[in-house]
Amino acid sequence: MTNIAAAACKRAPIFLVAAFALLPLAEPAQAQKSGGSITVGQELDIPGFDPLKVGVYDSSGYTAAAAIFDTLVTLDDKGDAAPKLAESWTHSDDYKSWTFKLRKGVKFHDGTPFNAQAFKENFDRQKDPANKCRCAFYITNVKEVLAPDEYTIVYNLTDPSVNLPATMSIQSTNNVVHSPTAWKTKGDDYNRNPVGTGPYILKSWTAGDRMVLEKNPDYWDKGRPYLDRIVLKPLPDAQSRFASLQSGEVDIIWDDENDADNILKAQKDSKLTVHTYKGSGAQVYAFNTKVAPFDDVRVRQALVMSIDRPKMSQAISNGLSRPATNPYGEGSWVKCKDDGALPYDLEKAKALIKDYGKPVEFKMLATATPRGRMIGQVLQQFWKRAGANMEIDQVDQATIPSRAFSRQFQLTPWRIVDLADPDPQMYANFRTGSPVALAGFSDPELDKLLDHARVTADVGQRTEDYCAISRLINKEAIWFWTFQNTYYALSSAKLKGFPKIYNGVIDVSNTWLE
Amino acid sequence: MATLELSMQEDVPAPVGRKRKLGLLFWVASIWLAVILVLAILAPLLPLQNPTDMDMLERRAAFSSEHWLGTDGLGRDELARLIFGARVSLTVGLIAPMIGLGIGGALGLLAGYFRGRCETLMVGSMDVLLAFPPLIFALAVTAYLGQSIPNLTIILGVLGIPAFMRVARAATLTLARREFVIAAEALGASHARILLRELLPNVILPLLAFFLLGVAVTIVVEGALSFLGLGVPPPMASWGSMIGEGRDSLDVAPRLAFLPAAGLFLTVLAFNLVGDTMRALTDPRQGAL
Amino acid sequence: MLNFVARRLLGMLPVLLAVSLLTFLIASLLPGDLAFVILGDQATPENVAALRHDMGLDQPLWWRYLSWLGHVLQGDLGRSFRTGQTVLQAVSERIPVSLELMLMAEFIGLLIGVPLAIACAARAGGAFDRFMTGSAFAMLSMPSFLLAILLIYLFAVELHWLPATGYVPFTEEPLANLRFFVLPALTLALAEWPGIMRVLRSDMIATLQEDYIALAKAKGLKPSRILFVHALKPSSLTLVTVTGINIGRLLGGTLIVESIFALPGIGRLLVGAIYTRDLVILQGVVLLVACGFVIVNFIVDMLYAVLDPRIRHGHA
Repeated sequence: MTNIAAAACKRAPIFLVAAFALLPLAEPAQAQKSGGSITVGQELDIPGFDPLKVGVYDSSGYTAAAAIFDTLVTLDDKGDAAPKLAESWTHSDDYKSWTFKLRKGVKFHDGTPFNAQAFKENFDRQKDPANKCRCAFYITNVKEVLAPDEYTIVYNLTDPSVNLPATMSIQSTNNVVHSPTAWKTKGDDYNRNPVGTGPYILKSWTAGDRMVLEKNPDYWDKGRPYLDRIVLKPLPDAQSRFASLQSGEVDIIWDDENDADNILKAQKDSKLTVHTYKGSGAQVYAFNTKVAPFDDVRVRQALVMSIDRPKMSQAISNGLSRPATNPYGEGSWVKCKDDGALPYDLEKAKALIKDYGKPVEFKMLATATPRGRMIGQVLQQFWKRAGANMEIDQVDQATIPSRAFSRQFQLTPWRIVDLADPDPQMYANFRTGSPVALAGFSDPELDKLLDHARVTADVGQRTEDYCAISRLINKEAIWFWTFQNTYYALSSAKLKGFPKIYNGVIDVSNTWLE
Repeated sequence: MATLELSMQEDVPAPVGRKRKLGLLFWVASIWLAVILVLAILAPLLPLQNPTDMDMLERRAAFSSEHWLGTDGLGRDELARLIFGARVSLTVGLIAPMIGLGIGGALGLLAGYFRGRCETLMVGSMDVLLAFPPLIFALAVTAYLGQSIPNLTIILGVLGIPAFMRVARAATLTLARREFVIAAEALGASHARILLRELLPNVILPLLAFFLLGVAVTIVVEGALSFLGLGVPPPMASWGSMIGEGRDSLDVAPRLAFLPAAGLFLTVLAFNLVGDTMRALTDPRQGAL
Repeated sequence: MLNFVARRLLGMLPVLLAVSLLTFLIASLLPGDLAFVILGDQATPENVAALRHDMGLDQPLWWRYLSWLGHVLQGDLGRSFRTGQTVLQAVSERIPVSLELMLMAEFIGLLIGVPLAIACAARAGGAFDRFMTGSAFAMLSMPSFLLAILLIYLFAVELHWLPATGYVPFTEEPLANLRFFVLPALTLALAEWPGIMRVLRSDMIATLQEDYIALAKAKGLKPSRILFVHALKPSSLTLVTVTGINIGRLLGGTLIVESIFALPGIGRLLVGAIYTRDLVILQGVVLLVACGFVIVNFIVDMLYAVLDPRIRHGHA
């Protein structure tokens, strides 16, 4: 990607974005066709949409949210922040205050008018400590949202944020706008009866089966959307999900690189299209440095140095996985000349473990899925070669956060997702005192760098900070990164207009069938 | 979980006349079982490659002199994994039904002999076990106690108890009305003596026959649990987990799923051939008393 | 007869109570709880404690159980903290799927198993009998997760005869609904028929050795008549037993088949509830499934009593 944030950076100093700058997402050569319906094969069942209930959306929830709701800002196909519900925005000189001018005449599906008050109510509901929303975690840097007039909102931030509009483009619980009337009148039932301003209206939803979304005839963006209907279906089994695409039951499916056989098969099939997006972030692992054997830096370094990433990529994804040497990845605007990555060096690793003297035995958490088992076994094999004994502790998804936060782990998998700016995740993952600073590692130099990168506006300076952070973490080996984030969707070749998979979100709300 | 319960009740024996002679099939089946058992027991001593050593650049390799049955999805020697997998599958497959046999058999015997309250209570508690979704039980036990072969064996064993209990109770019910039991009662024999000396030797026969069936079902169910991540902990292999892993490369290397499936099939078939023959030989109706 | 019915019905209550207590105990043993799931990244000890308090998770176990039981007795099974759905909503959406799948699987299983059993019994020990017994084990040793994907590749991807995954309610499109159920029901049935066949076969072989069959043969009755009328009828009890056991087992859902064919059944609901520690849903669904099990058992007992009056006095 890169483009998301890099381009957003370039654009940030431009004070006004023209009100009519809504760029068409598709190339003009392709003629959009209206009508028809598609079915999307997702991995998971969606629990609901109310931020207070579900906290955050998962990959399946995002797809639905992108169709039902709108965000203030979107990303165009070059990765630039582009207007959506907000028509333009300006910022203060210190980047601590952002003012958005809202689009006029937009209505929620239930007829409630969309305006500054509605937006502020959305924000306040999430920010209110009494609501204890998990979603509040991601807006800690926003002090308040003000609504000075009907079509203006002001974000007041605790720290400067040069990339605010771009980071607000992901269809997350924080950014999609719900109808205040709907959540107030529906109460507990709102979660499964969401109301937004988006291009599609929720028609029916059978839990565990399918969600039917119908075209919003009064959508503010005239001429859109193109499809009459979108059906979302959870297809939990990767093999049968792909078979459903082949047999034509579904038109597009979510996939990941560990399903490499099917991705390669789809590449050879003229009836199918493979959509790939190289995002920022990485698949990462955190050592608990408070417990043996990971309280010793030699052990941590040895384990990191014994991982042969290219070979691992072959084993788990036929070589599709792109090795990572830092938490940002090639998709990020943070480009480091030297990220301090420890090289693959089995002999050195063996020597370090020998130097440590005691036998290295530990457990690593892994999800009880074929993916979790496969990756776990490969790591286990690398470490065995270095003389360390790892046991795979298979647990279900719900257990990993609870074990991680209560620090009942020695080594746990984690994820740094594709976001336009590294700050939110880096600060949460590594700043002393953060609940997500899983390694339990505290270093004044690291804290200083994180604080500095957070409040600095200059891109060059921030890049230097983040590279220094990477060097420090790599040297101490408190976390390690295996592969960069690559997002996949496989679709029928007839499906057109599918945008880049920013933030890993499969957004089909502007597609059409040829 | 289509197979989580031992659902086959075989109170009625197969025809007897034809199987009096053991027959060629019986011997073939016995030899197969013997070979598998010996391989499984001696696996660590055999000149096999390490079943967990990966050659990540040699994934799903074809048959060769180095890897007789090729390699699996992570480049591990398939033959070694099949044999070490047999070790796990057979351990779980033999011990779990023993738990069912021991506990279920004893409960069934007591219920069938004493009747009354004792029987109601036991049948009731078996109903509780049957009414409780087995998968939830398996999930909870692994989540709480962790994943290991002993825990897995206990789960499968406990789930098999009701079936064994039913078989034992049914057999005891018919036997308890027979002359030799009534005669022993009339002679003033103690309950313990009647249970152990008169009833047990007769009830144990149908139970053993059922046990062999239980072995087969347990091996298959272990595979289903492995597929759900509740089976043997990786990198250990069982036939079931190997089928589950091979399922992902059905297109590229179908043998990875079908080799362990074939091993499973032949073993299950052999166990049942032997079981059928033994039941025919030991059918109480043949006046084996 | 009334007395018998009443006795059986009363006998079920302790079973249901025990099942619900067991669920509560087991669920409370699981590491991590709903508060962690909901809070995720924000699960600091203070937040977790506060949320647990809001949800009543900080009460002692026995108190939570009793208050749950109190609500259930008033007909209130509760509402999921996670999705906001009531237990009854969640279950009523999914029961038709599991029920239809179960009935179709049982039907196909009987359709394959019964004729084969009769054919095998007619020539017990013959080549056909031996071949079918062997095939039965081949089916048994083919795990459903492998069988399912093979069926999908064959019938959906290669032949395009049937849909690979999915579901529509019977009330919307009856024909499409049946098409969606063929492959999952077949997957289950292919594991069911060996059991049905084996039990029925042994039963019929035993029946065929009875004196009255010999008598019928001596009277010169047609072999087909002997097989279907005189021999099959006494075996109906066995068939009822086997079918009852199978249905009871399938009631709790068939997670693997539901997941692979993307059917919104009880199995996925239950396991989803476990994974997200959604105790309200878990507890309610297990209770309803146990009720279903008990009712099936009851129906089987009733059928016994109808089929064989002697049983009314003893225990089935």
